[in-house]
Amino acid sequence: MNAVILPVVLPMLAAFLMQPLAHISAFTARLLGPLVLAISIAMLVQPWFLPDTGPFTVTFAGFVPPLGIVFYVDRLALIFAVAVPLFTLLSWGWSTDTHGDEEKKAREDALMLLLAASATGLSLSGDLFNVFVFYELMAVSSFGLVVQKGTGPARIATLRYLLISAFGSVLALLGIAILYAQTGTLNLAQLGQLAPAALHGPAGLTAFAFMLIGFGVKAELFPLNTWVPEVYATAPARIAGLLAGLISKLAALVVLRLLVVVYQDTSASQLLLLLGTLTLLVGDFSAWRSRDFPRMIGFSSIAQLGLVFIGFSIPGPWGVLAGLTVALHHLLLKTGMFMLATRWSGSLDRLVGCAKSTPVAAGLYLLFALSLVGIPPLPGFWAKLVTLAGLAEQGSAMHLVALGAVLLGSVIKAHYLFRFALKLYSRSDHPALRHGLMDLGTAALIGIALIAATIYVVPIGERLRAVAQQAADRDTYIATVFPDHANTAAPEGPR
Amino acid sequence: MIQLDFVTILYVGGIGLLAIGAAGLVICNNFFRILLALVVAEAGVNLLLVLVGYRGNAAAPILGFGPQGAQMVDPIPQVLVLTAIVIGVGVQALAISVLVRTYRSYGTLDVRELKARFEVDLAAEMGIESTPGSEAPAA
Repeated sequence: MNAVILPVVLPMLAAFLMQPLAHISAFTARLLGPLVLAISIAMLVQPWFLPDTGPFTVTFAGFVPPLGIVFYVDRLALIFAVAVPLFTLLSWGWSTDTHGDEEKKAREDALMLLLAASATGLSLSGDLFNVFVFYELMAVSSFGLVVQKGTGPARIATLRYLLISAFGSVLALLGIAILYAQTGTLNLAQLGQLAPAALHGPAGLTAFAFMLIGFGVKAELFPLNTWVPEVYATAPARIAGLLAGLISKLAALVVLRLLVVVYQDTSASQLLLLLGTLTLLVGDFSAWRSRDFPRMIGFSSIAQLGLVFIGFSIPGPWGVLAGLTVALHHLLLKTGMFMLATRWSGSLDRLVGCAKSTPVAAGLYLLFALSLVGIPPLPGFWAKLVTLAGLAEQGSAMHLVALGAVLLGSVIKAHYLFRFALKLYSRSDHPALRHGLMDLGTAALIGIALIAATIYVVPIGERLRAVAQQAADRDTYIATVFPDHANTAAPEGPR
Repeated sequence: MIQLDFVTILYVGGIGLLAIGAAGLVICNNFFRILLALVVAEAGVNLLLVLVGYRGNAAAPILGFGPQGAQMVDPIPQVLVLTAIVIGVGVQALAISVLVRTYRSYGTLDVRELKARFEVDLAAEMGIESTPGSEAPAA
């Protein structure tokens, strides 16, 4: 069972070994990152095939929770934990940006590995202290990755991102401080036990609001998401894809855990619904107005994250299912979209008529756009349908407004995405912009995965429903972390 | 009448520092000042965290340090603050290094001016034709 710790430890170790190794043998250093990530994937895929599918915990050094730090492993955590090394590997910079500069390459690889390690840790942590540390580590490694182009705009964008992100961390830390003052613990399961008595008052909800806004910086949540378009326009496209696709989802996962375990049945979900709706509308309207490809898909990613949060705000397993399907769909799609943006990094008008020179890329864009808008039978349709059905079932005024916003957002999204598709397919004499084989290959791989998901939508839906059922159950979470709560006298030995 | 004991004053100080920092983030128009405001806000939160675990007349949480069986200060917030301070220092150092490089590129740290230069440079990089009278892409 301890195999789930290694995907956090190994990339971190490899990240620190990267620089010395690059001095000894540049070739080995180049291989190290992908190798470690591949091992991580293999280890994290393993628990899926174990016969016993119940969630389990991993304790460290024999300290039992709540005193010790704990990793909580259920299906939801595993999905994201597998996605981290997988998508890091998909976004890996094989050789494209560095032009054979080995030292720079080693630096970037080390940052990517740190990002993967901290993101995996974040998805597994069952303890707010650890969540905070991993979140910060993830933030710092992402700063290094987005500034690496070294142009003036990249520096300004990174500076703003850094300051906003650091302020978000201050807010999150304040929220954690309030939680601790109210309960005296940072273990999520114990917080869940104490929450109905200690945290469902104004102080607890204030803490949630601070943590929501703080962790919402990475999750592109309104109002602290102004860094998003600037960073995505100036960072290397595959890094932007990694941030938009993967990292934002992990921050959303933290919020979901807080909501399910600590703040179930409170008005916290109302706040989430409100901010999610605002995020959605701001994202879609801004995307409609943007005139370059990276910022258009950056704003569209804000809108999608808004939809994820709207989904999570629906109470019960249905809400988790709604948010999860939208999140996974977007994780897949945005990574693919940004792969296309590697070459299509400029103004939309520059890309007129590109379909003629790069028919595959244009076709993939069309496929992604169709799924993003939610045209049946593509997976995006089912994700949106689940969300809309959940909102309609809730039926309160707030939920109906959100439902209207989702539909309005879809219309706007359809307009700006297809407007660009029309440009791609219209006639012009612009020079051809051919994609690199690696980028196009990755995007094609994602396109194939999308089509496969369309075909196998029923079994995938069943699986995700089971995952959501498990993740939405607070009592399971608490019972898993404290298995012998009834007879607390018997201390548990080290595993 | 509120009793102004030592801990209350510290609480007020922590919240005050946080408020000053937050106000600075909103008001200031220079990236370096914004960074300083951030440092102040962080100090405020760290102070609040330490206070959360503070007990009056308690010993340091080290075995054998205070008298046997004496009440101890809660160590967990202190650990959290230590971690937060270290992370904070790292992030600030990184911010300053980016700040210095930005200043070398543009010769200014004024927020509005840099924002304008950002839009112009990016538009040039991306090949967006600026039509007179049209507003900049949404931000």
